[in-house]
Amino acid sequence: MVQINLPPNSKVQKGKYYKDKTGSKNIRKVNIYRWDPSNDENPRIDTYEVDMDNCPSKVLDLLNKIKNEIDSSIAYRRSCAHGVCGSCAMNMDGKNGLACTKPHKEIKGDINIYPLPHLKVQKDLIGDLSTLYKQYESVEPWLKNSKKNDDKENLQSIEDRSKLDGLYECIMCACCSTSCPSYWWNGDKYLGPAVLLQAYRWIIDSRDEERKERLKKVADELKLYRCHTIMNCTNACPKGLNPAKAIASIKKMLATS
Amino acid sequence: MKENNPLSPHIQIYNWHISSLISISHRITGIINIILITLICLWTALLLLGDINYELIQKFFETFFGKFLIMGTVWSFSFQILSEIRHLFWDLGLGFELKTSKITGLLVIFGSFILTIFVFILGRNLIL
Repeated sequence: MVQINLPPNSKVQKGKYYKDKTGSKNIRKVNIYRWDPSNDENPRIDTYEVDMDNCPSKVLDLLNKIKNEIDSSIAYRRSCAHGVCGSCAMNMDGKNGLACTKPHKEIKGDINIYPLPHLKVQKDLIGDLSTLYKQYESVEPWLKNSKKNDDKENLQSIEDRSKLDGLYECIMCACCSTSCPSYWWNGDKYLGPAVLLQAYRWIIDSRDEERKERLKKVADELKLYRCHTIMNCTNACPKGLNPAKAIASIKKMLATS
Repeated sequence: MKENNPLSPHIQIYNWHISSLISISHRITGIINIILITLICLWTALLLLGDINYELIQKFFETFFGKFLIMGTVWSFSFQILSEIRHLFWDLGLGFELKTSKITGLLVIFGSFILTIFVFILGRNLIL
């Protein structure tokens, strides 16, 4: 259901202010969403003054700098730092993206960093994605092929293979799903752009034999048709993919089959 | 996981894009249009009851609020029609690229005002 306001325990309060100690003249303010599960306090926004002269270019570098030099208690996920693993997905400057590929120079004014929107927060910038993973499992993202030829490669024509371009690159960072207002209001039933893009990746694969079953499974008023082409997903995708188009392709396949 | 985990902020912090703005406006104008069509039906029904009603409504349309209502109606319908055409192209699988959707989005916004002005000029017998 549409719930515009945050529940009482999620209201964000003003937090601590960490003044710069390096004496640098090139300073930026970084506002970071904080929530500590060990006490019963509401989430807060802590503000850090960061010396930008000694900070590498990406938002993740900025976070690492804060964690290493100012406040070690801050928690966030990161791994590869090259836009491949999708761990450091978060909301920066009002838009979802990967902290490791987003240059902080692109952000004007204070840098606001929040966890991915409309998720249960586990700590600070870490949101709980277990619902999304369950939904991902529900589309059965693996090849279903009855042919048993273990000694031979399962070949695909160049044309069929090219249909997977723009789909297989998805790293499941959840930037798109958590940017979608439909997914905010109906996240428990609507599959969301990330999972639907994955569903389409298997529907369109020429080697898969269960296209009809897959289509049937996803053809649901809530699972699929909660997509109203708001296009926030495509705007958010840090890999430049187009979930909105993938969802439209599923709808089109269902309408024409 | 504990029960009291907070919900991360969503609509409060998320930036508006042209596409999301049009999407919500499309819904709002859709609801408004249903109300407006009902009002237009009532208006026509009232006309059948005699010329006193006609004069009464005519007087209302002469007021500022009446004029605003008429222009608002024209804009609401214009916006809905143009946005719906955009949706029809999407249903064909066309215009999903970020750049294209941005351009068509701007076309819908500016087009709705141009169409409103066009209908105004047409209604005032300034052309044709």
